[in-house]
Amino acid sequence: MDLEWSATDLAFRDEVRTFLAEKLTPELRRAGQLMTSVYADHDASMEWQRILHEQGWAAPAWPVAHGGCDWSLTQHYIFSRESQLAGAPSLSPMGIRMVAHAIIKFGTDEQKDYFLPRILTGEVFFCQGYSEPEAGSDLAALSMAARDDGDHLVCTGSKIWTTHAREANWMFALVRTSRSDKKQRGITFVLIDMSAPGIEIRPLVMTSGEEVQNQVFFDDVRVPKANVIGDIDDGWTVAKYLLEFERGGGATAPALQVMAEDIATVSAQQPGPSGGRLLDDPAFAHKLAELRIRTEVLEILEYQVLAVVAAGGNPGAKSSMLKVLSTELSQALTELAMEAAGPRGRVYQPHATCPGGPIADFTPPQHDYVSGEPWQAVAPLRYFNDRAGSIYAGSNEIQRNILAKAALGL
Amino acid sequence: MDFTLNDEQELLRNGLTRFLATRYDLEKSRAAAKTGLGWQPDIWRAFAEELGILGAALPEEYGGIGGGAVEMMLIAEALGHALVIEPYVDTAVVAAGLLRRAGGDAAAELVEKIASGTAIVTVAATEPTSGENWRDVTTVAERDGADWVLRGTKIVSASTPLASHVLVTARTSGARTDADGISLFLVEVGSSTPGLTLHHYRTVDDRRASDIALEGVRLPSDALVGGAGVAWPWLTRARDEGAAAVCAEAVGCMRKVLADTVEYCKQRQQFGQPIGGFQVLQHRMVDMYMHVEQAAAAALLAILKLDADEVTRARAVSAAKVTVGRAAQFVGQQAVQLHGGMGMTEELAIGHYFKRLTALQFEFGSTDHHVSRYAQASVAG
Repeated sequence: MDLEWSATDLAFRDEVRTFLAEKLTPELRRAGQLMTSVYADHDASMEWQRILHEQGWAAPAWPVAHGGCDWSLTQHYIFSRESQLAGAPSLSPMGIRMVAHAIIKFGTDEQKDYFLPRILTGEVFFCQGYSEPEAGSDLAALSMAARDDGDHLVCTGSKIWTTHAREANWMFALVRTSRSDKKQRGITFVLIDMSAPGIEIRPLVMTSGEEVQNQVFFDDVRVPKANVIGDIDDGWTVAKYLLEFERGGGATAPALQVMAEDIATVSAQQPGPSGGRLLDDPAFAHKLAELRIRTEVLEILEYQVLAVVAAGGNPGAKSSMLKVLSTELSQALTELAMEAAGPRGRVYQPHATCPGGPIADFTPPQHDYVSGEPWQAVAPLRYFNDRAGSIYAGSNEIQRNILAKAALGL
Repeated sequence: MDFTLNDEQELLRNGLTRFLATRYDLEKSRAAAKTGLGWQPDIWRAFAEELGILGAALPEEYGGIGGGAVEMMLIAEALGHALVIEPYVDTAVVAAGLLRRAGGDAAAELVEKIASGTAIVTVAATEPTSGENWRDVTTVAERDGADWVLRGTKIVSASTPLASHVLVTARTSGARTDADGISLFLVEVGSSTPGLTLHHYRTVDDRRASDIALEGVRLPSDALVGGAGVAWPWLTRARDEGAAAVCAEAVGCMRKVLADTVEYCKQRQQFGQPIGGFQVLQHRMVDMYMHVEQAAAAALLAILKLDADEVTRARAVSAAKVTVGRAAQFVGQQAVQLHGGMGMTEELAIGHYFKRLTALQFEFGSTDHHVSRYAQASVAG
């Protein structure tokens, strides 16, 4: 048992730091530091992926044979933490962190050869087609019809909450190929070319004003059966495998630590309620301390789960626990950042931030005026967008249901 | 003890509620906020002329109807329920309250204009270094002959882009946080006064506000409203009235949000049944309900103690702002959660209400600010 970093780990940290100092341009850093949600500006994100790919670090968690890195658990963690600290923009999770793992585990050689290198270069950019208007928490109730037509499946229906659908050229989707008593049966996991005829995209304006999410409509869209991952009617197996990756495959503590550290930094410059610095206000200092404690504990829990995954095991219900803990902690941090922003947290100024998508119905004030500092412009948008954390990837109510069954046997 | 409304109050509330239900369209008001003027002047005219609500809580000598705090509460709650962005609280409650207490013919005339809807007056009291403490005033006003010369910066002055006049706080004597030495100056918003720069912008809750730079702004002698250096008692009183009114507005917002959430959970089907049938969501909605009821009770407490002595008033208003702030956070967040992804969008009313319920937690003092103010007032009392 040991929590300390070895000399090798420290040398690796320095290597990562040097790389980041060299390659992370001020523009990319700005895009990372002024993100208003978990999604970075698309162009900045793709540019950063290109730079990482040159270094061989775009998909460190993949098997080495496909372009991954032979890193220890600690090294993955160090890379993630240093990237966050340096303000690197996030990469889209859909391709590298999600569908690629399905392709690696369930895909044919042809599928692997075509998609994996292109995901790495960014030539193929995926969005996710899971939720439907009538199938959210109850995902297995999905009904987008995929009719069998020889070598093709013909898809008609609608997907919703599709992040970056307009930027993506491929979608991985769950479609309904048959119906039986068990609703999880008869679902198929397919890859859909977004340029196929019959696809229409409607952007959804979020409360932050951002157009990152979309509803996608399919009208007799022909998908070659060669693009099915796994077996027809057995897509739920693939989806379940991916959900575990989505929930348990990453470390959120580094990002949350950076958020807490940022709050400490800025609150040292803000006026407190009774004079002095906000950071020294007892009520504020207590809240910040509580959140930092939760972050420290989460870090250990994530380490434990990562260790299970790295040993080839399944974290099971623990990944549900991490999803609940990390999203609720993140939400609490965005609440505290709003408090730190003070009266200026009320100003709507997305032009001072780097949002994950275009802003609807907004004209910046004259001369692009900004009230206060950019972080104060970020605070309310992050707060609004972060409410999604307890809704997406299986709402926290669903996760607690899973935990009740799987962890407590209720 | 009596919690019933009199006939006039019932009429006022029902008339306003009916007007808003038929004439105040959420989409139209959002369009005005985002791409239009920032408000709907014809709605404001109707408030003044058809409904008479702008003067409903003002004494008759100012062209008002002679109502009081209860009328203000009924109006603010109804406006909150319809998510009205027009600046009732900023103008008809806070600025009018300041002007009335400052006294003088010019101030009285301006209050009459507020009541008739022909002037919109706002307040600029927050500064970059003041946090939420309006007594922390670094803006300075100095005599130069008969004139006053103002230097300083004000931020997030609510509704000022829509205003004809703004009341600016400035120090004419005393140290930075002294209660004595704070004065009020009336500045015309539309005028091109040398040294005066207004930066207008939108707020997250689809209203408008301004930052104001005063770099040697020269004002005539009569721009001073009331006596020099004696504005603090009026300011603290007006701020409490603003806080109480916003509490009532929040109650209106929350009642709408709770009703919408309950309705949505009855309609929305997942796992073969309405999600409102799941006990975990039922309990959540019951918690929302209890927050709303506590918030309404607390708002009433604040409203009914506005005329009490200063310590009693401070305790009641801070108790209300804390209770309402907590409720607004919980009810807003859970309404979004229970609406799922749809609650995160601008497609349903809920997203707009959520943003207002977020912003108002920070108006006229945040929850933490009022917790410590309550503690101090309790010791003092």
